[in-house]
Amino acid sequence: MIEAGVLVDLTEDPEGVPIYWHLPINRNTIALPDSRPLWDVIWENRHKDLGFAHSHPGSGTPGPSHEDMTTFAAIEAALGKRLVWWIVSSDSYIDLGWAGPHKLSYRVGPCMFQPSWVERLRVESEYQIK
Amino acid sequence: MIGEHEARVNVTFSGTNGDLPDPVSFDATDGDIKQWVTEAVRTGGIPGIAADPNASLQDFVVDRFEATEARPHRLLQLRPKTPFGV
Repeated sequence: MIEAGVLVDLTEDPEGVPIYWHLPINRNTIALPDSRPLWDVIWENRHKDLGFAHSHPGSGTPGPSHEDMTTFAAIEAALGKRLVWWIVSSDSYIDLGWAGPHKLSYRVGPCMFQPSWVERLRVESEYQIK
Repeated sequence: MIGEHEARVNVTFSGTNGDLPDPVSFDATDGDIKQWVTEAVRTGGIPGIAADPNASLQDFVVDRFEATEARPHRLLQLRPKTPFGV
């Protein structure tokens, strides 16, 4: 397994349309390292309603790490707007959004349906299917 | 005029982008740069960025760029960090 990410445009489709697959050469099993190119793409698309999904190793319901949440907060502070944040495992996923009141008060959303691009994110993450 | 050992400082915050009015040493530490910019954002000291008394740049990073033909001075740019991981 190797972590992967995707930037999603939610402007016109609530399921979202992938606009940038984040597959840096230095990604690994437990992390997507800091990336200037990722920030550049987010900034270029700042006028759209955006979300970002990334994969975590393993199966079951994933949860955000402290690193994840501080990155969510930093990007939102720079953009001056909130995003939707998804985390995907081999067989589950969650969506998160800021609920307040504190800087890192992110809560799991309703997850009404699984966006179609989640399966491709799993493929790009090279989960080992048993 | 920006000296050979100085740099312009640019920051992206709250959907806007602006420069510190005065250049700083290119060799200043990331911690110092973030502190100076944080104080400037909080007090409205960066043209183009509205004052935010609660601004925090703790999770921002400093990218350092050498001068180019198009930009004849060095540049320090603050942007949010972007790593994810377990």
